[in-house]
Amino acid sequence: MNLPSGELLLSCAGLKRSVSNRDILDIDRLDLVRGYTYLLSGANGAGKTTLLRALAGLESVQCKYLRFRDQEIDPGRYPKRLHRQIAFVHHHPLLFSTSIAKNVAYGLYACALTRSEIARRTEAAIDWAGVRSLLDRSPQALSAGEKQRVALARAHALEPVLYLLDEPTANLDGDGRELVLRLINAISQEGRTLLIACHDRELLNLPGVHHLRMTGGRLERVS
Amino acid sequence: MELVETSREALRLLVTGDAGLWQIVWVSLKVSLAALLVISPLAVCAGYLLATQHFPGRRIVVSTIQALFAFPTVVVGLLLYMVLSRQGPLGGFHLLFSQTAMAIGQMMIAAPILVAFTLSAVQGADVRVRETAMVLGAGRLGAALTVLREVRFGVMAALFNGFGRVISEVGCALMVGGNIAGLTRNMPTAIALETTKGEFAQGVALGIVLMVIALGVNFAMSWAQGAGGQHK
Repeated sequence: MNLPSGELLLSCAGLKRSVSNRDILDIDRLDLVRGYTYLLSGANGAGKTTLLRALAGLESVQCKYLRFRDQEIDPGRYPKRLHRQIAFVHHHPLLFSTSIAKNVAYGLYACALTRSEIARRTEAAIDWAGVRSLLDRSPQALSAGEKQRVALARAHALEPVLYLLDEPTANLDGDGRELVLRLINAISQEGRTLLIACHDRELLNLPGVHHLRMTGGRLERVS
Repeated sequence: MELVETSREALRLLVTGDAGLWQIVWVSLKVSLAALLVISPLAVCAGYLLATQHFPGRRIVVSTIQALFAFPTVVVGLLLYMVLSRQGPLGGFHLLFSQTAMAIGQMMIAAPILVAFTLSAVQGADVRVRETAMVLGAGRLGAALTVLREVRFGVMAALFNGFGRVISEVGCALMVGGNIAGLTRNMPTAIALETTKGEFAQGVALGIVLMVIALGVNFAMSWAQGAGGQHK
């Protein structure tokens, strides 16, 4: 499927994944344009999570080609450097059993940045996500919304260009949901590209977003 | 009254710092800790790899390791004795009746426990730990270290259990160490020897030390695990 012309950030074709002779992912073509927000809807089991995981390098898939910023990527040998540019946040994000600040800084340590740069970016991400008041709490004691915000801060610290979010507002309500929606909006305002699997009507009705729908592992564009 | 007398003499040996007694305690601790220090990193790596890699014959390897739990330590001693004895394949190293031989035996005894406990801890870890580490840019090694840190209480349980088994093991130490006073006599072999000689005081004193160490290790483990599960 083709999307409006613009700078292509990610482009792939013939994305396939089968389990027990059943195609759980069968996508002819997917192009993501830089700066766009894409919402991916579909029933449970339609392949939304599998698609996000495949693009994040967590699922072994077959594909004709996968290009990211004009670079050909072998999905079987997903390069480590791509993780710094493509963020993936689980449906229920996992926080490591260490401090919140160390959670936020994890990716920065993994990238072997300098200590001062790690400190600067960690502080910036903590303020960005508004999680400073959570710093002395245990990650396991946080609510679902708080965990989601810390996970978004952890991803944001790496300054990725593409965010893959798996149902970020599912099971959230009230303030928790509002705060997460605000962060997603902020990411979009920064000109980053987002591909969000979601059922959230409020997100689906946002202006300027591109709506993709998945059915039985196949992708179709709605708007 | 003999029991009271023996206990009093045992306490006297302990509090007066009897050189012979504390030498035996030192040999025990030194050999067991050295054995664990060498085998633990290897066994933890093996446990992690077994938990995360799939290869033909994996099931047989896992079952064999679990079966080795029940391997009598005296048979480990017998096998090692044959290997290290003068006519054995490693006889040229002259290791029989040395602390090194005892440490090798203890490594063989501890390895299955360490591997199996680590394997079970890593298999029980949330799959998102490894995935989250990877999507945040950690390599294979970084992700492995993160997973092991997340299951650190399981890995610690492996180390404490391994230590508990080797510090109190008598069969292998006796066979490949030879129970040489001042050199390879450790707590379990000394207790066995003193008891057969009718010298109960030193046996009881060493028994007390061994029990304090074993109970202390278990207490430390349950305390650490309790702290690990606490939430603010």
